[in-house]
Amino acid sequence: MADTINADNVMAMLQTAVTVIRENEPLLSKLDSVTGDGDHGAAMVSAVAAAEKALAEWDKTSLNSLLHGVGWGMMCIDGGSTGPLWGSLFMGMSAGAGETETLDCSALAEVFEAGLAKVQKQSKAQVGDKTMMDALIPAVGAIRAAADASASINDAMAQAAAAAAQGAEATSGMQAKFGRARNLGERVIGHVDPGATSMSLLFKAFSEALSAREI
Amino acid sequence: MAMKKFINDPANLTTELLDGLCTAFSDKLTLVSEKLVCRAAPKDSDKVAIVTLGGSGHEPALQAFVGEGLIDISVVGDIFAAPNGPKVFEALKMMDRPAGVLFVVLNHAGDVLAANIAMEMVEEAGLNVKMILTHEDIAPGANAPAEDKRGLVGCVPLYKIAGAAAEAGKSLDEVYAIAERFNNNMATLAVAMKVATHPQNGEAIGDIADDEMEIGMGQHGEAGTGPCKIMSADDTAKAMVERLVPAIGAVGGDKVLLMINGSGATTHMEMFIVYRAARNILADAGIETACSMVGEYLTVQEMGGFQMFLAKMDDELIDLFNAPCDSPYWTVR
Repeated sequence: MADTINADNVMAMLQTAVTVIRENEPLLSKLDSVTGDGDHGAAMVSAVAAAEKALAEWDKTSLNSLLHGVGWGMMCIDGGSTGPLWGSLFMGMSAGAGETETLDCSALAEVFEAGLAKVQKQSKAQVGDKTMMDALIPAVGAIRAAADASASINDAMAQAAAAAAQGAEATSGMQAKFGRARNLGERVIGHVDPGATSMSLLFKAFSEALSAREI
Repeated sequence: MAMKKFINDPANLTTELLDGLCTAFSDKLTLVSEKLVCRAAPKDSDKVAIVTLGGSGHEPALQAFVGEGLIDISVVGDIFAAPNGPKVFEALKMMDRPAGVLFVVLNHAGDVLAANIAMEMVEEAGLNVKMILTHEDIAPGANAPAEDKRGLVGCVPLYKIAGAAAEAGKSLDEVYAIAERFNNNMATLAVAMKVATHPQNGEAIGDIADDEMEIGMGQHGEAGTGPCKIMSADDTAKAMVERLVPAIGAVGGDKVLLMINGSGATTHMEMFIVYRAARNILADAGIETACSMVGEYLTVQEMGGFQMFLAKMDDELIDLFNAPCDSPYWTVR
């Protein structure tokens, strides 16, 4: 059987992400109170609540409509930077999926690359700027590298999760170039970025969901 | 220790505060679509509309400045968080008219993201909207890149200037030009004495030692130029005026608007003492304080401290500042 995933698998990935993010709300708030204004936990909970609502209301027509619903739902939350950035990610992924209903590893990489590109229309942040991009860019790069090496989807997502986690951890040594923390100068060094943390949790959840499926 | 605030479930903060605000001032305000604070009696459709966005938690700003001669719609987000782009677009669409809309955005990451998303939708829909970005905070240095400079309390008099120009029937290009002139000749510097707590989670916003203050701390607790030992009102005012005056290029013979904007826990007593010192230092430099504002316009919950604001004024700007307006927290007859 070809190594592919469909909308049902993506649904499972998203549902796992909702659970994982919710469980980590206190951590995200705590991280954000050190370097920001303390609301990242609440913002992520709003974002995944919107995603959960979109999943429940999905008309089951297509993979792109599933992703679009999640993206638009997130775009409509009141969560500071979180809504527009995460919303852009999933709306971009929706556009990247196009008319395709089953994704092999290469198509999956394209979907994530389209998501990243849409986020980059709203944010100029690069790796090293101490933002969610420190997790997202390496994660998407890892999926693409795995696809090019003909790895399985499960392996690709595991590598993405590892890259994202590593990227998030690395933010500890960085000064912030964007967001509220940019005004803190050196005071943020020694603290991981909350946005990179929540993004790495997303890929961790995706990887968990994919490993749990029956092949 | 329990959070010392009179609130209910933190999840309902913004909803409850907007209900309270719009019913307390129901003669001037009406709440539309849960998050749009609008004028109770909308302005004539042949005048330029003024729309803005921002997080709650800074009361009276921004919402209490909705009214005649000021803001037409303020789109409200959660505490300290920008509202979402689609909601902002809803407001812009609601005020769409041939005369056009001036869209005032304060430079904060979330606000700019939401505004950019809304403006993408504006372009797709072909609406007549001009966006103006305020960025008058000089804490990172007067010559710092614009994207590093936050939009602080300067938006409040800017709403007045632009709102008056709109009420006078000026075109969108004219209103924009006047607002941009004011925008490019204003500067704010904040000082914080005592941190506030975030009402949603009780976490302290920022960090200041007992015997210190910090010049330049932002309106969400963002760091400033580093802490220093507490200074007297006169010394603090001197330190701040000495940075603000060159930032707006004011020289002897010029007229300015001077504002002391309390952050929430600083007494009006202190504000008047600081204002006195600042006004005298300006006068010693031959600079006339033609317009004054002292009070709490844009607060940061119960933060101890204030923002000092200076704007270079000319006769046209002074007339617009003194023009009639009517909102819950600013009325000129």
